[in-house]
Amino acid sequence: MNLGSEFTRYILFVPLVTLIIIGCYGLINSKNIFNALFSLDVIDTATISLFVLIAASSGMQTPITGLERYSNYADPYPQAIILTAIVIGFATQALLSAIALRLSRNNPLLRFRDMED
Amino acid sequence: MDINIILTCLIFLPVIVGFLGCLLPNKFFFVGVFTLLINSFLSLFGLLNGFNNSFTLINQGGILLSFDEFSLPLIFGTSVVFLITFSLRRKYFSHYFYQISLVLCSALSICFISKDLISIYIALELTGFCAFLLIADKNTDKSLFQSFQYLIGGGLAMLIYLIGVIQAFTYTGSFALDDLSLAPSTALCLIVAGLLTKSGIFLCGIWVPNIYTNASIQTSSILSGCVTCAGIAPISRMSQILIPISNSMIVIGVLSAILAAILAIFETDDGRTLGWSSVSQLGISILSPSYACLYVMQHGICKCLLFNTHNDNSDEKISNQRGTNDISILYCQDLIRLITFIIASLSITGFPFIAGFTTKTLLKYDLPPSAQLIVSTSALLTSAIYVKLIISNLNRFRRTYYKKIPSISIRSFISNDNFIFILCIILLISSSFLRSDLLKSIYFTNSLSALFIGGIFYLCVMGIEKNIESSNIRKTIDIIGAPFIVAAFLLANLTYFKL
Repeated sequence: MNLGSEFTRYILFVPLVTLIIIGCYGLINSKNIFNALFSLDVIDTATISLFVLIAASSGMQTPITGLERYSNYADPYPQAIILTAIVIGFATQALLSAIALRLSRNNPLLRFRDMED
Repeated sequence: MDINIILTCLIFLPVIVGFLGCLLPNKFFFVGVFTLLINSFLSLFGLLNGFNNSFTLINQGGILLSFDEFSLPLIFGTSVVFLITFSLRRKYFSHYFYQISLVLCSALSICFISKDLISIYIALELTGFCAFLLIADKNTDKSLFQSFQYLIGGGLAMLIYLIGVIQAFTYTGSFALDDLSLAPSTALCLIVAGLLTKSGIFLCGIWVPNIYTNASIQTSSILSGCVTCAGIAPISRMSQILIPISNSMIVIGVLSAILAAILAIFETDDGRTLGWSSVSQLGISILSPSYACLYVMQHGICKCLLFNTHNDNSDEKISNQRGTNDISILYCQDLIRLITFIIASLSITGFPFIAGFTTKTLLKYDLPPSAQLIVSTSALLTSAIYVKLIISNLNRFRRTYYKKIPSISIRSFISNDNFIFILCIILLISSSFLRSDLLKSIYFTNSLSALFIGGIFYLCVMGIEKNIESSNIRKTIDIIGAPFIVAAFLLANLTYFKL
């Protein structure tokens, strides 16, 4: 598949933007902690995919030099950087889950309504 | 050896000491204090001599770091805030508190010195995690829930920031902060909304007062002193190179300064008042990009002192951890605390011959004349807030020692806490003489009249606050929704209004 054409790129952006909107909708409308946690993960995934898609706009092949059969490389810079963001997203999820576990001792339903006063 | 490598090592030293401190906590505590002392001395020395050094770590395409007038005051302020907290509240630290604080110190320093968007992102996330752990350290249900709100709001803000970064990357082809002038306005407003949430400026910063009341005192002094500064350095760097951003920052800063100050006056709880006043001061600071960092540094140090001396420590009274029952020693401690509280309050209001006067005057006369009026208005509101806090503290002191003032000897004044408080007061007062050209009668009358009118203003509205139901913004949805609203406002301002 050729990602170079403008039209294909716009088509591929649509599901990612939809995913971001779904995540934001879920986060704003969530009534308990777990829903909020999952929605944040959805936005996280969408952002990471956005980075990967933009990195692939120049080509989709693995950026390894010395092999002449490859002509159009993907940009390695955003891909390398998004690795950090993936790890950070995972760490955020882990910390939030830990806090949810601790909060569930006194509020087993984990509803926001019970904890906000 | 290369000076760049030494500087980078100094920045990363606290992290190493922090991790080693997990193995040998007692021995490495003093090493940690020593590293903070080195950091503060070197940054102060660099600041006074106009040190300016930017370099790229590793070769081309590496990390851009810069030690200049933006980062040095903030590094100094951060180190001093940690030193004050370490020396005053060490008794109350839980077993991993100071290790996390040291990691936080390095994360903040990286945030101040880095000049590319991805390093700022990573440093801000690390700052967020450390702040989260510090808030959750109190281990009550309330503080745990507040820390959850902080992390989920901060995480969302950083995702918004990342979306802005990748959009800017498609136009500029690099992650450097200086190349942002080529970026489209949608990318800019997403990036700025993320940074504003992290630094706690109004509308995005509604997490600030909630957390200050529910966290322990050492945590809130660290948070108010330096964590909220994290976003200020990138914002002021950005507004110095981008004219539209600096114009929008004036609008947001004015909104933050005035609205948060009004909320602070009508707040009944002293801790929340301090939180709202913090939001208001940060709003004032982003008005002027060139003096923002100095202003925030002074504000951070004073806020840290205020939280430490604010004498509402119920946990201290219950467990009586001050180590003595001798009433004359307690009286002396409370007296020194009260004096420090008053001096720090006056410094934030801009009283002459205290550090706040210098930074406030510098910031005020850097602005265009139309914006100076707003700084004067907010100075008036700030004085009203601090007159309120001083009166409430004086009343508490008078009630505690009503008709039982003990006899004081010099011996009862001698204690570690008093020594540190007196040192801080001397530093605050002497630092105002560094810029002796600002000590003019016209500036004096300005600040004194603001203080006087603010006091009268507070006396006028004093009765009202009891009747007004204080606006308790405590819902998670407010914290989550605020970055979107600010991003939308910024976009509208950059494209249509052009205020």
